[in-house]
Amino acid sequence: MIDKFKQAFLEEARDILVELESALLELNEKRDDLELVGRAFRALHTVKGSGAMFGFEELAAFTHNLETAFDAVRNGQLRITGDLINLSLAAKDQIKAMLEQASGGPPVQQAVSDEILAQVRRLTGKAEPSVVISTQAAVSDTVPATSTVAQGPTRDWRIHFSPGPDFMRSGANPLLLLRELKQLGTLHVNASMAAVPPIAELEPERCYISWELSLTTAVAREAISDVFIFVADICDLAIDPVAQAVPDPALQVVNLPPVTQPEKTQIVVADKNATKPPPWGRRASDTPDNASSIRVPAAKLDQFVDLVGELVTVQARLGQLATRHEDPEIASVSEEIERLTSALRENSINIRMLPLRATFERFRRLVHDLARDLHKEVELTIEGAETELDKSVIDQLNDPLMHLIRNSMDHGIESSERRSVSGKRSAATIRLSARHSGASVLIGVSDDGGGIDAAAVRARAVEKGLVAADAALSEAEVFSLILAPGFSTAKTVTDVSGRGVGMDVVRRSVEALRGNIEITSKPAEGTTVTLRLPLTLAIIDGLLVRVGEAHFVLPLASTLECIELTRQDIARANGKHVAIVRGEIIPYIRLREYFNMQAEAPEREQVMVAETEDGRYGFVVDQVLGDHQTVIKNLGRFYSHVQLVSGATILGNGAVALILDPNRLVRDAIRTLPLIPRDSRGELPRTESKAARRAACS
Amino acid sequence: MPIILDQSEEVITIRLLGEVDISCAIELRALLLTALGSKKKLRLELEETCELDVTTLQLLWAAEREARSCGVKFTVEQPLPQAVSRMVADAGFEKFPLPANS
Repeated sequence: MIDKFKQAFLEEARDILVELESALLELNEKRDDLELVGRAFRALHTVKGSGAMFGFEELAAFTHNLETAFDAVRNGQLRITGDLINLSLAAKDQIKAMLEQASGGPPVQQAVSDEILAQVRRLTGKAEPSVVISTQAAVSDTVPATSTVAQGPTRDWRIHFSPGPDFMRSGANPLLLLRELKQLGTLHVNASMAAVPPIAELEPERCYISWELSLTTAVAREAISDVFIFVADICDLAIDPVAQAVPDPALQVVNLPPVTQPEKTQIVVADKNATKPPPWGRRASDTPDNASSIRVPAAKLDQFVDLVGELVTVQARLGQLATRHEDPEIASVSEEIERLTSALRENSINIRMLPLRATFERFRRLVHDLARDLHKEVELTIEGAETELDKSVIDQLNDPLMHLIRNSMDHGIESSERRSVSGKRSAATIRLSARHSGASVLIGVSDDGGGIDAAAVRARAVEKGLVAADAALSEAEVFSLILAPGFSTAKTVTDVSGRGVGMDVVRRSVEALRGNIEITSKPAEGTTVTLRLPLTLAIIDGLLVRVGEAHFVLPLASTLECIELTRQDIARANGKHVAIVRGEIIPYIRLREYFNMQAEAPEREQVMVAETEDGRYGFVVDQVLGDHQTVIKNLGRFYSHVQLVSGATILGNGAVALILDPNRLVRDAIRTLPLIPRDSRGELPRTESKAARRAACS
Repeated sequence: MPIILDQSEEVITIRLLGEVDISCAIELRALLLTALGSKKKLRLELEETCELDVTTLQLLWAAEREARSCGVKFTVEQPLPQAVSRMVADAGFEKFPLPANS
């Protein structure tokens, strides 16, 4: 059980380090913001105190030094400088490495720790090495009694602290908490033994003692609660302010007229309506955070979603059975299970949805460090950070975004001098944005740098033999050459980028997520790289279709309508693959031909019209079977090169159906079939008049 | 083993050595019950104790209460080591093994 709580500490500590980094980077921008100093201090204080409590003495001792520096900042003895921020960030990285080591990661480099500590001491003017913190003397041994006490008016607090049954077995130690509280001010401790049973009935590993504490301190309730942050779930805690004894001028006794009967009635009613506070205030276990969210390991969540996927597959089998047996009772149960499965599926997908904020915020540090290394002034702006995306997609976004930002910082953004000459602000901007677009999320990385030199890209592509010298390429096609393996126009290879591996990695990563990349750029104005990613990789709403004996799934989000296609319609189009839907010409792909399937086509076929990135296109199938909750299964490494399908799904009868990717299918068909491509606005070519085109199809 | 039990005709002495915490709690309870059951005088020696935790504290407190109720003499050798005194004070016990409010 102790391991379980240590694990919980490691996870919480990682979150706190993210908060610390965020506070430090903001502090770099607003160096006089005491609230930010407080945030950084609290994060360090919590990591230190809790680290010591769970036996991470080295981590606690290391963190203590940095905490001392921020305490000096709080007390006005030290100023926030770029050096202190950089040093603090390096220290935060080292603390993270210590956490990783505790989780089985590589050992931390002691020399790095020593160097950081030496620099911290130089900054704080404390020459003496820090005292090593022991688990039993976590805080009070190492921190001067007054060091963490905030300046300002004090107030009295009454604290009820009662460890729960598993408190001691979790590895927590009430004494360390009491000692940490003592640091915050003047503490009077009263142990209550009322609950201790006779020794013969006493469970030796359980703490029966509870404490009533009086604390006089200048710190806020939040700082007091922070002491108990890692044990809030396993203890009963109430923190209440004690009424001030100091007379309040506003409450001075004055001569007032007597209260009338109607006024008395009003007072009584108001009193009845007032919410009575509980004797000890709100318990820790009643706090909104505890009540509304729980921490679940990602692996358990993945397992849950996998099981829901299996359930969806079994439900499809049940549906087929019900149809085959034509039994109304089975059909009724099947429908009910379908409804419940659908709701469960929605819920499980929603549980996995996370806002992109944490992912985006991580890049503040990258931009900060790269700007320092490249001697450029760069601001990162974040938009749409609340946009949610499946956790499994988010997990794989880090590398592509990192490559894109590094490229922008290194190649896109000019030096401050050059920007000034061009009349630009010396500080460049990188914009990280996210927004929903149908069943996809668009993530953009934009910079206001020099833009991509299309001619240079083309020349380099010709030189590398990627395109013919006389190839007719649109601007978008030229920019997409950047994504080719080994492509780079950078004249120098730096530590940051220029080796020509980054953008290829980005492309492969995004395609592995069933997404795609679009690049736009204007000379001297900047570049935007947009990643279009699916909302989820687990289960989608699909439309099940049949061609011959084969089944396919089209994503429902991209399908618009279904129309009939007769042999006469085909004949009327003079062999051209177009259908006319309410006067609009819709080019189509006959899946039978496209996949070279030999089965005889029925008299009447169906055209599923879908909205694709290249405009509206139709997909001709034999039969549309209806909606299908599609559990996406990977095709595996052997078929990983197949780009036209985004996976496969198992049908109720055990057969496998390929999930088609309409966008890639259309792009491939435009290249390989006599299919009419639309222009960038989704329009068909203007080379023929509308009348001529109608004539061609009639 | 940080717990040593010495027995003579009249006195049982329990000596706690080094760190005595939750890992020794089951053992300590069993020894205390044995000692109390013998009706002999019970003496606690903490001279070589570095640290105690609250599970140990509450066991000793419960043993002292049990001793009083069944007429067994229970003594703690004084003075206590500094680390133990500090721990006892931090936990809100004014006079070991009694809490401040008892």
